Amino acid sequence: MDTVKIYTNIIKDNMDRPEKVDKLINFGLTSAYYYVSFFKDKRIPKSLHYLNKYSIKSIKDSLANPQNSAWVNLFAPSEFLIAMDIKPLFIEAYSSFMSGFFIEDYLVDTAESRGMSNTLCSYHKTFIGASELNILKKPKFMMTTSMICDANIPTFKYLSKKHGVPLYIIDIPYKYSKDAVVYVKKQLLEVAEKLEEVFNRKLDTDKLREVVKTENKTRALMREYLNYAGEKRFIPTMTFEMYMLFASHVFIGSKEVLHFYEMLVEDIKRAPERSGKSIFFIHLLPIFEKNFKDYFNFSDKFHIAGSDLNYDFVDEIDENDPFKGIAEKLILNSFNGEINRKVARIKELIEKIKPDGIIQFCHLGCKQSMGGTFIIKNLASEVGIPFLYLDGDCVDKRNNQEGQNRTRLEAFLEML
Amino acid sequence: MIGYICKYTPVEIIEAFGEEPVRLESGYKSHEHAEALIHSNMCSFAKGVLENIIENNIEEVILTACCDSIKRLYDVLKDKVKFIHILDLPRKKDPLAIDLFYNEIIEFMEAYQAFKNKNFAEENLLKILESKSFNKEKQSAESIAILGARLKDDVIEKIINSCTANVINFTCTAEERVFNIEAKDNLLKSYAESLLNLTPCMRMAEDRSKLINKELKGIIYNTIKFCDFYSYEYAELKSKADLPLLKIETDYNDSNSGQILTRIDAFLESTGIKKMEKQRAKKGYFVGVDSGSTSTNVVIIDENKNIISYSIIPTGPKALESAFKAFEIALNNAGLQEKDITSIVATGYGRVSIPFADRIVTEITCHGKGAFFIDNTVRTVIDIGGQDSKVIRLDDSGNVIDFVMNDKCSAGTGRFLEVMARTLGISIEEMAKVHKEVKENITITSMCTVFAESEVISLIAQNKDQRDIIHALNKAVASKAVSLVDRIGRKGKYMMTGGVAKNQGVVYAIESRLGEKLIIPFEPQIIGALGAALISLEGK
Ligand code: SF4
Ligand code: SF4
Ligand code: SF4
Repeated sequence: MDTVKIYTNIIKDNMDRPEKVDKLINFGLTSAYYYVSFFKDKRIPKSLHYLNKYSIKSIKDSLANPQNSAWVNLFAPSEFLIAMDIKPLFIEAYSSFMSGFFIEDYLVDTAESRGMSNTLCSYHKTFIGASELNILKKPKFMMTTSMICDANIPTFKYLSKKHGVPLYIIDIPYKYSKDAVVYVKKQLLEVAEKLEEVFNRKLDTDKLREVVKTENKTRALMREYLNYAGEKRFIPTMTFEMYMLFASHVFIGSKEVLHFYEMLVEDIKRAPERSGKSIFFIHLLPIFEKNFKDYFNFSDKFHIAGSDLNYDFVDEIDENDPFKGIAEKLILNSFNGEINRKVARIKELIEKIKPDGIIQFCHLGCKQSMGGTFIIKNLASEVGIPFLYLDGDCVDKRNNQEGQNRTRLEAFLEML
Repeated sequence: MIGYICKYTPVEIIEAFGEEPVRLESGYKSHEHAEALIHSNMCSFAKGVLENIIENNIEEVILTACCDSIKRLYDVLKDKVKFIHILDLPRKKDPLAIDLFYNEIIEFMEAYQAFKNKNFAEENLLKILESKSFNKEKQSAESIAILGARLKDDVIEKIINSCTANVINFTCTAEERVFNIEAKDNLLKSYAESLLNLTPCMRMAEDRSKLINKELKGIIYNTIKFCDFYSYEYAELKSKADLPLLKIETDYNDSNSGQILTRIDAFLESTGIKKMEKQRAKKGYFVGVDSGSTSTNVVIIDENKNIISYSIIPTGPKALESAFKAFEIALNNAGLQEKDITSIVATGYGRVSIPFADRIVTEITCHGKGAFFIDNTVRTVIDIGGQDSKVIRLDDSGNVIDFVMNDKCSAGTGRFLEVMARTLGISIEEMAKVHKEVKENITITSMCTVFAESEVISLIAQNKDQRDIIHALNKAVASKAVSLVDRIGRKGKYMMTGGVAKNQGVVYAIESRLGEKLIIPFEPQIIGALGAALISLEGK
């Protein structure tokens, strides 16, 4: 038995003692943090190494200090939290880590036994399971947007009611219009007010502006990075493309993330020229799926050329009116609204990145993503890039039919 | 004709155009056309609507940006129908949200006007709204609520017809379109506002707990696979549980299946609002026929509730023939003739097709009745039959107060064990004998019969001890059963019924999971039939 398995079993045996599990999880995160710090893998570029540590630390920070933390989802505007020094914990990240600790099955089963539907996305079920078992200590505040994913509003409504923690739902219209911006801006002002009230501190508008400025600088670097992504071989494992979501979403606007992108651009310039075949991913990467791990992690033959989720917004935010600017950013997200928006963004990205193949891993229960599969397939055939979609689960490993997927994945890669 | 699906659709505007809005149904067994256009793991209601639109060449469609499924339905249909429009639907209803929705309605009107080349007359709208403005009498007395995701119209119809209480439909198909529009200076805006003020669905930001009041006699909660909105509210209601609550899980299209209707019937029976004719107890002999999917069982009792005889035979391809046969055997065993029988109650899957029965009652009620009769300390009945399993909760007087059934697949049932016995190359009887002494504690991870079978094959290939594999299978069945128990909460004492109760290994595995002994009746397969016979005697 390897160490992770032993650790997993200890956690599972203690599920009825939430305090202890909380400590064990903290221990797991701390070990991961020190492991990454001391055993530097030579194959991993400096910037990604930094990102790895930063991501683990950010989760640890918010878990260690629930009174100064807010639960959010990937798309929530955490600029406000950063400006007020509140630590966000986002559902998707927490659940991925629990899957990394191999306890997602237990948490998913817990959520289902409380009445959650078994077809609900496992990112949400894992998080709900942890909260049902009180492994997750309740935060001071919750904030979600309605955009992109149906699961957000009901999950947060449920958790907020259950724990008696205030929640703010930011309703993001599906279509962009002047009125829509006004509608969202007003809600953002309300969020800020709520945050001030709950955390009993002021939101300094200059500080918010500073965060937005940093965010704009970061996105300029992101665009620069993309200029090299077509020529270089850079991302060593799927996990890093997913860790990037910490930087491109929830923590964008922080100094650390800016620093990360600065390093990233330097690193990619120095990276080896592209060789082998490159794959562009739609939406998520199945970081725990065995076939994918075998084929993509540290591979010379196939490498990861990016995913559209990391580039769902690439423009500048209005620094003069950050509330309005953030409202626009939310509504204009390429995953929001008609699928044409998303298709146009993917088109731009693949023109830059020039991948040899496109894969969409349809995460069970994620309808916003799989609902567009055939449309993206059409796009791929229009531009003449081979496309493969596979079904599975990025969190709950029990839902992956590895045997079946192996044949399809292998055949596809052979085809390239 | 223009098709719509959401109650927030401005139906009255369409009517004011002189056009006919039709709520689209989805009732297709196959989604052949739909699955060529959209991934098969989408919500089946959305897939069914897509199938309907393509199959019937529906040319005009109006949608709301309800959920991810409907948004993608729009994307897929966009260049496939002559007119399609999607309305953005705010989740809040403050003045800015109303403005937004008002603009959306105007945008739709303009688009439709241009498409139809017809003019819109506000007077028409006003007339229509006035005709729908209230005075609906407040219906009194007992009510039950249908909450959750939309249920098929025919199921709702069936519920209304078979219960004595008033049925309130809170789902997407509710037709409670009553308007009280006074501000005529901006009719459209007031209209937009009153639409947003309809009973909020789960998609809305608003809290819905006000919908549930103590006066309700019960709630039927429907959830649809791959629909994210509903199930959270169920979990919440369940944890409070001060109202009788029935959860049904469907893929929408199968919501009128026999299993679902049985459960609804049993629920109405248990809440005491089922319509039925009263009968008085009579003298003589009383029969219960349980026509199950695997076995058909008959019990005959006398007026003092003594069991006179019983029979158990496998259900053949024709349920009716098996019922006749089992009835005949029981009569022979008792030395009775048909004319000696006062009344017959049928239960089980095949109950509706038994013409010689005087009444039919669901197997839920019958199992509860039979189990409580055998031992009145029983509060939970775990019934695992050939193809389904259920857990029934009884109160101190033996009334059914809650129950759950497994999904429609065979995971964790007798059928599951049969397949595994075949894979292991042993008989089901041999398998049933194995319990205790294990060498290696193996766990079967998959509950699906098909996947578990391949797991067993690979365990055999690894040369694992057969008894350990059987032990693992028993654990798997037990874990499924106990998770059903957990869905309604644990409460002893437990009685196990159904064919699988004869399998000592499974009984032992369930006992160790529950940490409590199970009561196993002398003949676990006849409890449903016994309950039916008792009901036949009591005549109620
Ligand atoms: S994977 Fe899809 S369904 Fe799950 S949280 Fe992300 S967007 Fe939502
Ligand atoms: S869930 Fe709400 S928005 Fe969606 S169809 Fe039903 S009523 Fe309409
Ligand atoms: S059942 Fe749920 S997922 Fe399906 S269309 Fe309705 S709201 Fe959407």
